[in-house]
Amino acid sequence: MTGKLRGTALAAGILGVGLVLVVHWLVFFWVSTERSMGVVQRIFYIHVPSAWVAFFAFGIVAVCSVVYLWLEDERVDAAAVSAAEGGMLFTTIVLVTGPFWGKIAWGAWWVWEPRLTLTLLLWFIYLGYFLVRRSTENPQKGKKFAAVVGVVGVLDIPLIHLSVAWFRSQHPGAVVLKPEGPTLDPGMLTTLFTGLGAFTLLFLSLFMYRYGLERLTHARAVGRTPAGQEPQPQGVAS
Amino acid sequence: MKTSLIVLGLLAGLALATTVSAQSAEEVAQALSRQSLRPYWHVFIAYALAWLLVMGWVVSIARRLGRLERDQDL
Repeated sequence: MTGKLRGTALAAGILGVGLVLVVHWLVFFWVSTERSMGVVQRIFYIHVPSAWVAFFAFGIVAVCSVVYLWLEDERVDAAAVSAAEGGMLFTTIVLVTGPFWGKIAWGAWWVWEPRLTLTLLLWFIYLGYFLVRRSTENPQKGKKFAAVVGVVGVLDIPLIHLSVAWFRSQHPGAVVLKPEGPTLDPGMLTTLFTGLGAFTLLFLSLFMYRYGLERLTHARAVGRTPAGQEPQPQGVAS
Repeated sequence: MKTSLIVLGLLAGLALATTVSAQSAEEVAQALSRQSLRPYWHVFIAYALAWLLVMGWVVSIARRLGRLERDQDL
């Protein structure tokens, strides 16, 4: 991992962790309690930023996958797989935190309604991304198949976003991304945006570390050091 | 007659007051039941699980990166 990449990742990580602490203070000591749902609505401040980061990560996967299919550059494939891993993690957080909110608000851990079902589908699509990647004996072929899944999978994201408007949905509708502007309380909006910033920084930091790991793994597989690093003396093979 | 009306009026007032106080007691009970600790546990578990998952990814990356960099240094 190059020193510059490591430094940037560390800086983003420190800033992200700092913002995460601020978010927790805002969530538990500052923001007012939502009137109809009560204290359980505070899950919103971890649920929504996780969803945003997952969508952002899968957006990176799609863009990098298109570039990989076009140029077959190993660096963009490394970025795609790193973002896909992060996207999987944050989608898992969305799917895990939602039921704890739903059980109190709706009286059920899970409801087969459009937004929840499409989010679960998104999780399975990116699980498929990793399975397809490892399904062939030829790694290059696996990467190409995975890139196709990465491009197709991103089409689920607008469906998730618009599902609450298109179908009869139990899930709350949009409160921020609305044509007439956000309808959220200003304090809640501040907490939400701080959370979005914190989660994005945290994701970018971990994404950079994961990218460095992927480049090192690839360099080791082909028996050389990644660009920007001095070649190491040949030592004991492990 | 007049006395009977006064007594009836008093009884009706008493009944109304009892109903109102019973309703408000019910509302208080409902409000208290809404304030159970269950939602707090749900918030706590949701946040704990989210951070456990993130920490899991951090540890996983750190271990794999550390192992590769150690191998490279050898």
